[in-house]
Amino acid sequence: MELFANLAHGFGVALSLDNLLFALLGALIGTAIGVLPGIGPVATISLLLPITFGQPATTAIIMLAGIYYGAQYGGSTTAILLNLPGEVSSVVTALDGYKMARNGRAGAALTIAALGSFFAGSVATLVVAASGPMLTSVALSFGPADYFSLMLLGLIISAVLAQGSVLKAIAMVVLGVALGLVGTDVQTGQQRFTFGVPELSDGLGFVSIAMGIFGLGEIILNLERPEARQVMSGKVGSLMLTREEFRRSVPAVLRGTAIGSVLGILPGGGASLSAFGSYMLERKISKYGSTLGTGAIEGVAGPESANNAAAQTSFIPLLTLGIPANAVMALMVGALIIQGIQPGPRMVEAQPDLFWGLICSMWVGNLMLLVINLPMIGMWVKLLQVPYKYLYPAILVFCAIGVYSLNNSVFDVYQTLFFGILGYIFSKLQMPAAPLLIGFVLGPMMEEHLRRAMLLSRGDVGVFVERPISATLLALAAIVLAAMALPALRSGKDKALAE
Amino acid sequence: MKISTKDLWAGGILMLLAFIGLYINGGLLGFGLEQHTLGSARRMGPGYMPMLVFWLQFGLGAMVFILALTNGPDPLEPWTKLDLTTLAISVAVGIIIWRVMEGMGVTTNYVQVGIACFVALLVLSISPAWRPLGLVLASFAIFALLLEPLGLMLSITALCVISALADREHNPISIVGMSVFLCILCWFVFIYELDIRVPLWPTIFG
Repeated sequence: MELFANLAHGFGVALSLDNLLFALLGALIGTAIGVLPGIGPVATISLLLPITFGQPATTAIIMLAGIYYGAQYGGSTTAILLNLPGEVSSVVTALDGYKMARNGRAGAALTIAALGSFFAGSVATLVVAASGPMLTSVALSFGPADYFSLMLLGLIISAVLAQGSVLKAIAMVVLGVALGLVGTDVQTGQQRFTFGVPELSDGLGFVSIAMGIFGLGEIILNLERPEARQVMSGKVGSLMLTREEFRRSVPAVLRGTAIGSVLGILPGGGASLSAFGSYMLERKISKYGSTLGTGAIEGVAGPESANNAAAQTSFIPLLTLGIPANAVMALMVGALIIQGIQPGPRMVEAQPDLFWGLICSMWVGNLMLLVINLPMIGMWVKLLQVPYKYLYPAILVFCAIGVYSLNNSVFDVYQTLFFGILGYIFSKLQMPAAPLLIGFVLGPMMEEHLRRAMLLSRGDVGVFVERPISATLLALAAIVLAAMALPALRSGKDKALAE
Repeated sequence: MKISTKDLWAGGILMLLAFIGLYINGGLLGFGLEQHTLGSARRMGPGYMPMLVFWLQFGLGAMVFILALTNGPDPLEPWTKLDLTTLAISVAVGIIIWRVMEGMGVTTNYVQVGIACFVALLVLSISPAWRPLGLVLASFAIFALLLEPLGLMLSITALCVISALADREHNPISIVGMSVFLCILCWFVFIYELDIRVPLWPTIFG
């Protein structure tokens, strides 16, 4: 079987000492930021991007991926123990997890969260490994027009699935595309919107935008609403599950894994949506659905499995099509491009080490996380006792040095400052920022494909509906948009995302 | 009327940015600076895609704006007179400093931008509501200003001190302790381990 040969090759890469070490480092950092509220994976990964320049591409991506799925584990810890979701994706975990903790079953909740995540992560890793090469072969037959339509579909889905108003999310995608226009026009070499600033000829800094909007913006908002920090009161208790708890968890974990694997692939989906989806499903389907919200173990097992599965499968569009499914994946594109690798369908062939190494490292990383989280839970709880007043200046310093060291230029620091202001305005006006980041990354690629497609078709717009692949994708995009115009569906989505 | 003030502003900002973009780019029905060649649909020039994008953005902004008139109420947090005054003064001060320094030709390393930002943000943080925003960003600006002339250690300290003022829980001892700790940590991570190229101590004297 080719798949197994490839996986064996991948494990060879993932188990090299360097890669193991950086997977562990990523998992540790991820757990830490997952535990700490107020700093998420997007800010952290953009913070650490400059540091990855010196590493080989595979090692860099393995570490960054570790941060992302590590954060899913860490986020659940605080959600269960303190009713304080470290990440958006663990908001639902807090509903039943914290109740379980108050009933003295904190240990059991933590165990099922970790075991469920591990199981889901392992299955999702297999899904990525199996579907990756398949999708890649499809993607290789894509022409410029098809690519354009595919990206359009991706942008629309990511906007539709974003929190809040769909219209505003689409507008933010377009604004992101507009920001991506800044810099030298690839085909003619003309400077666009650079205002004579030489630093802008390479375009706006991706790291500056991500760090300004997600890093600085988040810190300012956190300082504006000083929440009284809860102190962990109850004990963690026994980590062992009772037979009854185990029996009830198994189907929930299976369902969560399935829903997470599917929703993770969707652009804009990812971990948080899957967790919500799984919770809704448990409430409908599970025999104990009516007890959800009162400390039912299904409410922890399902969403936790789902968010971890989704964190894994959201790599599929990136690895096979070069299209980021969410803001974290957009950062991964940035990391790859900085390393000189153009993400896309050719990556499986051209970079087998990266592709298979990453997939296998995910499984290895999940195993590490199991160890990091369960026996060492006490250490992470201690981390929570670091007051935010010491944390945020440290984050600021790391941000500032990180941005500066990108190009050794203070211009980048001012740029980040500017986007910090912008991010603050966005959050005050409830304009979702994640779609903007995805638009910014996809914008330049879309322009290139659009121009190439139009050149090939001699200026005939019909090419987008004449090619079957492109036409199908555009039709899907139209259906998605039309569906969101239906009031019933829209309120359903709001309900699913708002709880 | 149930007006959503947030969406009203959001739509307005989107339209304004799109208008500015079109004004610079071209494609604004014959008005504007028309800096970029549009080209034709077959051979798109550098200005073609921006034209499409900005018109789309303008349209979406307008839709957000119009729908805002009925989908509220969703008011912004109320601004006090102090908030408004400091914001106005801060913007004015920033622009004046920037223009004056640029007029004097002091533009090495974007020092004019840095000083203008720094002073403007300090002015902004006079108002309690703007304090976290003003001080956090001001600490970022002072870091950029001091980094190359005074080195990493002093700029980290400056960043710590200014950003610490944004949180009332800090006292002088905690600020000093934190600054020292972060200086050592950053020296270890960025200089010792990663070896980034940045002066550590003031270069003016040495």
